[in-house]
Amino acid sequence: MGKNLSMIQLMELDACTHCAMCSSHCSVAIAFEGIPNINILPSEKVASIKALASGNPLTEQEIRGLQEGVYLCTNCYRCTVVCPVGINLQNLWNRVRELLIQRGIPELSVLSPLSFYRGLMKAEAAQGDYEKPLTQAREAISSQCDLMKKKDEVLHLTPVDEKFKSGLDLSSQAKNFSICFGCQTCTTVCPVVRHYENPQEVLGLLPHQIMHAAGLGLKDLAIGSNMLWDCLTCYQCQEQCPRGVPVTDVLYELKNSAIKYTKEKI
Amino acid sequence: MMKYALFLGCQIPIRLQQYETSSRAVLERLGVELMDIGEFNCCGYPLRNIDFKTFLLASARNLALAETKKLNVMTLCQCCYGSLKKADFLLKENLSLRKEVNAVLQQEDISYEGKIEIKHLLSVLDQEVGIEAIRKKIEKPFQGLKIAAHYGCHALRPSQIVRFDDPGNPSIFERLVNVTGAKSIGWLMRLECCGAPLLGSHDELSTEMTLKKLNNGRESGANYLCTACTYCQIQFDTVQQMILSRQGSNPPLPSLLYPQLLGLSMGIPPEPLGLKMNKIPIREIGS
Repeated sequence: MGKNLSMIQLMELDACTHCAMCSSHCSVAIAFEGIPNINILPSEKVASIKALASGNPLTEQEIRGLQEGVYLCTNCYRCTVVCPVGINLQNLWNRVRELLIQRGIPELSVLSPLSFYRGLMKAEAAQGDYEKPLTQAREAISSQCDLMKKKDEVLHLTPVDEKFKSGLDLSSQAKNFSICFGCQTCTTVCPVVRHYENPQEVLGLLPHQIMHAAGLGLKDLAIGSNMLWDCLTCYQCQEQCPRGVPVTDVLYELKNSAIKYTKEKI
Repeated sequence: MMKYALFLGCQIPIRLQQYETSSRAVLERLGVELMDIGEFNCCGYPLRNIDFKTFLLASARNLALAETKKLNVMTLCQCCYGSLKKADFLLKENLSLRKEVNAVLQQEDISYEGKIEIKHLLSVLDQEVGIEAIRKKIEKPFQGLKIAAHYGCHALRPSQIVRFDDPGNPSIFERLVNVTGAKSIGWLMRLECCGAPLLGSHDELSTEMTLKKLNNGRESGANYLCTACTYCQIQFDTVQQMILSRQGSNPPLPSLLYPQLLGLSMGIPPEPLGLKMNKIPIREIGS
C-alpha cells in the first residue's frame, strides 16, 4: 500500500491526530449502527490505511473490512472540508478504494448508487479495470446460488425453502408479495425489459419470473438473479401492479438478502 | 411564514451547488424561510440496495433531527424525497419498527414520533407558495421557450407513499414551468427514468436510458430539459457531456434546474442561479 500512495498522501497520513472531526461529520456514520464495520468511520479508515501503509500486516478480514468501509461512502466531501490538519481525505478514499477493489475480493456494495461517483470519475480512473469489480460482485452472488448454474435443467419443486418464503412475506419490504397472481404486468411495464430485443437472453429471469421463483420458495433463483442489479428502481412495476404487490420493494428485499447471504459465504 | 428545514443531501454541496444557490435565491423572493440543520446525514437512498435497516436508520435520523426543531423538511433531490417519505411512512404506521429505530436514535437523545412532514421543492412552490403568488413575481416572462419538463421517478412513485401528484398524469411541473412564460411541451417519455440509479454499476444501460430521454425531448421540439432532482440533473448535464465526448453525434439538449428557469423569469441575475456551473452551456435565455 505504501508504494501505491503518493508522497503527499503518505505525509498526510502522518498528520492525522485521530481527532475524529471527520467521523463526527460523516454523512454515513449512522450506517455503523446497521453494518457494524468500524471502517465506515473516516477516522478509522485513516487508522487502517496508516497501518497498511507502514507495512503492518492487516489480516485478510481486516482488509476486507477496510474495503467495505472505504466503499460505504457517499463522497460528500464533508470529512475533507472539516479536517483540521488539511488532509485531502476524498483523494485518499478514491485512491485506496480503487486499489482495494482491484485486488480480487468481491465488494458487494459496488452494486448500488454508491458507485455513481465512480461512474462520474470513470475517465479519471487511470488504474485497473473499470468493470472488474462490478462483474466480480455479480459473479460472487450468483456463484453462491446453485440453481443459477443449472441453466437447462428441469427443476424439482421440492424441497422449497419455506423459511425463505415466509421470511419475505413477513419482511417490511416484501410484505404480502405472495398475493401476486402472475399477470406479468411488472415485466410488461419495466423500462429495462423494454430496452432489449431479447430481454431474457440479456437479463436472465425477468421481474415476473423472479416473483414466481420467490413464490415457489426457490431462494437461489430469487436472490441469484442478475436482473436484481439491473433494476432502475423507477417503481413503474410497483405502481402498475393490479394486486398492489410492492414489486420494486420486493426486489430491494431480494437484493438485501442476496448481499447478506453472499457476505456470509465468501 | 413558511419555514422548512432544507435537506440538501450528499451530492448538491459538492457536485451541484447551483441547485442550492438557485433554490435559495427564488425561495427568498417568495417568502419561504429555510433553516439549515448541519447534522443532517445521507437520506439513505444509496444504502437501500445493501441493507434495509441501515437505510431506515439513516433516513430516520434526519426525520428525528427535523422533529427536534419542529420543522417540516423540504428536499431538493427527488431521490432524497422518495427515501425520506418511505421512512416517514413506515415509521408512522409501524409502531414496532419505530421503537426499534428510536432505540438506536436515543443514543443521541433524539427520536422520531411522526410529527413532521416531508415536502419536495416543487410541492412547496405549487401548494404552499401557490402559482398566483409566483406569477406576481415574474418580471421577465419567457417568450417562445419550449421546455421538456422531466418528472423523474422517485417523487412520483410509488404514489401511495410519496403522494406527490397523479402518478399517471401529473401536472405540477407543467404548471410551474408555464407560470414562467415558457411553454411546457408534451413528450412521450416525460415520466420515464433518467438512468442515474445504474450509473457506476451498469453504465451502458444507464446512459442508454438517458439518451432515449434526450432524443425524445429533442424530437418533441424542446429547447431545454428541465429537472427538479439532483441525480437527474447530473445525469442530463454532466453525464450527457460525458456521452457526447465519446459519441458526439447529436447536438446536446441542455438541461437546467427548475429554480434556474424560475429565477431567470423572476429577474434574478444569472450568478446566484449558478448558470455557469452547468456543464452543457445554458445560453442566455431571456424574453
